[in-house]
Amino acid sequence: MIAQQLVNGVMLGAIYMLVAVAFTLAIGILNFLNFSIPGLFMVGGMVTWALLAQGWHWSIAVGAALLAAAFVALLVERLSYRPSRDADPEVPLASALGFLILLENLFVIRYGSDQLSFPALLPDFNWRLGGLVIGGAQLVSLAVAVALVLWLSVLLRRTNTGRRIRAVAESRETAVILGVDVGRLVPQVFVSSAVFTAAGGVLFALNYLQVSATMGEGVGFKGVAAMIIGGMGSIWGAILGGLLIGLAEVLTIGFLGADLVDIAVYGLLLALLILRPEGLLGRPAAREKL
Amino acid sequence: MTAYQTGLLVILALNVLGAFAVYLPLSAGQLNLGIAGFMAVGAYAAAWLGNEQGWGATAAIAAGGGAAALVACAVAVPILRTHGIYLALATFALGQVITAVFLNLEPVGAAAGYPVTEHIGPAAVLLTTLGVAALVLLLSCTRFALCLTAIRSDAVVADLMGMPVRALKVAAFTLGAAIAGLSGGLYALHYNYVEAQHFGVMLSTYTVLYVLLGGTRSVWGPILGAAFFTLIPELLRASAGWRYAIFALLVILFMAWRPAGLLTGGLRLPWRRRAAEETP
Amino acid sequence: MTPLSLSVEGLTKSFGGLSVIRDLSFTVPAGSATALIGPNGAGKSTAFNLITGVYRPDAGRIRLGGKDITGTPSRRRIGLGIARNFQNIRLMPHLSVLENLLVGQHVRAGGLIDLLTPYRLLPKHRWRAEALAALAECGLERHAAERVQGLPYGIRKRIDVVRATLSRPGLLLLDEPAAGLNPTETQALHRHLDMLRARGMTLLIVEHDMHFVGRTCGHVVVLNFGEKIAEGSLAEVQRDPLVREAYLGGMAA
Repeated sequence: MIAQQLVNGVMLGAIYMLVAVAFTLAIGILNFLNFSIPGLFMVGGMVTWALLAQGWHWSIAVGAALLAAAFVALLVERLSYRPSRDADPEVPLASALGFLILLENLFVIRYGSDQLSFPALLPDFNWRLGGLVIGGAQLVSLAVAVALVLWLSVLLRRTNTGRRIRAVAESRETAVILGVDVGRLVPQVFVSSAVFTAAGGVLFALNYLQVSATMGEGVGFKGVAAMIIGGMGSIWGAILGGLLIGLAEVLTIGFLGADLVDIAVYGLLLALLILRPEGLLGRPAAREKL
Repeated sequence: MTAYQTGLLVILALNVLGAFAVYLPLSAGQLNLGIAGFMAVGAYAAAWLGNEQGWGATAAIAAGGGAAALVACAVAVPILRTHGIYLALATFALGQVITAVFLNLEPVGAAAGYPVTEHIGPAAVLLTTLGVAALVLLLSCTRFALCLTAIRSDAVVADLMGMPVRALKVAAFTLGAAIAGLSGGLYALHYNYVEAQHFGVMLSTYTVLYVLLGGTRSVWGPILGAAFFTLIPELLRASAGWRYAIFALLVILFMAWRPAGLLTGGLRLPWRRRAAEETP
Repeated sequence: MTPLSLSVEGLTKSFGGLSVIRDLSFTVPAGSATALIGPNGAGKSTAFNLITGVYRPDAGRIRLGGKDITGTPSRRRIGLGIARNFQNIRLMPHLSVLENLLVGQHVRAGGLIDLLTPYRLLPKHRWRAEALAALAECGLERHAAERVQGLPYGIRKRIDVVRATLSRPGLLLLDEPAAGLNPTETQALHRHLDMLRARGMTLLIVEHDMHFVGRTCGHVVVLNFGEKIAEGSLAEVQRDPLVREAYLGGMAA
């Protein structure tokens, strides 16, 4: 029983992991707490659903959803991030929240706020291993999530783009002096971050066979929690944090009841922020100079 | 005055109170993303004291503010160890935890909601709001407000100038929570019903946005922000969904156009860059 | 104001293995004007940060007017009579000049009544009048209502000094007060400092401009790599071979 819970927790954690990676890319590289990410998560799930309902092939529907999320992310870059880089730190945060509210309400206006049932794309297939039952959708989600994260870590470590991104994360000014074209790199970061989130939204729909205009809120905010628990700006931290939140959630449901999930997850987050604000794998903040 | 106009005024009053509750700590540099949690504490405390302990409306609402202040004071010391974005996220988590606790608290109806017997009319809400607004405006003319601004601007220098930075931060956090609790109490007794779902992330978010849009460098900012964004959607007579969509669109456009808020607009804060260059 | 003496004994500080101040001892007699000089990176600003309590020393004692303040928290030191300006002018950019000066008075006006008096509604309030008078002494009163953010560098620099004096300190630490000032502003600063000394303020000044040091400071302490290498009058230390080597990077040796 516990083993089954652990498996379910890891599967859920894989989705949180994608969202947490999206958040951590934005904050680690751009120092931008991009609260529009829960909206992009919803765009991933809802656009796929809407196109499937129109009778489109699943691959085109998913591709279009990822493109839509990328497009919105570019708008966020243009309207939230870019104009307010030199303003108080609350300003880009507020603007990104504006995008979240806008996206949610546009989808509510078009499709209502109820849960919509998402068609089962995969044959109902269960893989039994010992006493464990692993669903086909779960397996696919895990595989896709791991593949995406591996691709990202290879990209960051091994490629020129990755080196440029890490240079910007270290010091934007120095990167500019060294000739990194930040103006081109930043939109790329936004697009990758959007693709991760939206992929998370699609996988969520695939697993739970439900989407809604507000589906991003719960998962998105837990993605933030996962990012912080792992350590802001750390990819491996986001992976660890995502898995921990997934496990904490599933185990709380299993042993304490579904009503206590938010208390457990956000209580954990609160405790960690107070006791170890840099997260499990993050670096402590640099001390102030006088 | 029609019932519609009165109802709108009450909503405006509650939004203004919420905006002040965000503004006070923000003037000391604390972005409280969990203000709805403190509103919930005030609402449930006032409702419970009225329902179960037979307290009168005035005492119950005041106690609602007091209860929120107590909770704030209790969590302030650990939570204010965090700064900047971490503090915003810690308050966000705190708000989520508080709401989730009420959602599971059987004595106050848990997820089913909690009907409230004591009732106050719109006049009481409006008068209380006016009173609080007068007090906050007066407070903004004191050295206390000056100290909060100094701490927001440069906490190290504020400390070297002899300011008790920690105590002032706790005071700002607690005062904000007290006002949030008061507004929660008014809400509970005016609408005679409390449900935890109302006090979610989105309520905190909207309240913070009123303040940021109005401008955080003047005490008139939160009033202006709350008024503008309560009344504009009404004037446009938009449906509920469009109302929020328009609000969000305005948020995005205003933040791109006037990042320092409607009132203190025009400041693009070049000092941030300059200050960084001057640091050896 | 009673001038206060300062003495540091065996002060030592390192950051993550990098030793910034090593066994530093010197005395600033009450009522004197003493200069702390040395090449860039010699540890002058760090010494200021240790004296004002921004950093804790790893070892050593700091005495103000004979009283040991080594363990006193930074925010209580201004109340004991130490005030400072900042090399990079840390005024509050969004506040007006007058409000910045009111911040400087805080240590004398931090009681509950002062804290909650709505001074902005009282144009003739005594704290405000005092701050304006201090500005007027330096000929800066016309900037009182302006935001600090938009003011020229030289004016901001001088207001930072005025702010430091408003706590009525017995010891004033000035970190490069003349850097970046034009000749007229430098003259005004000299007059200001003379006035402060006449009123009984001990001055400890970090400065690179040797003309400035010669004009104001009777006593000079020279630091290099966190250690005191010479002490005496300006003429004396200028003749010191160690000092010449430190400034000329070994060419004199």
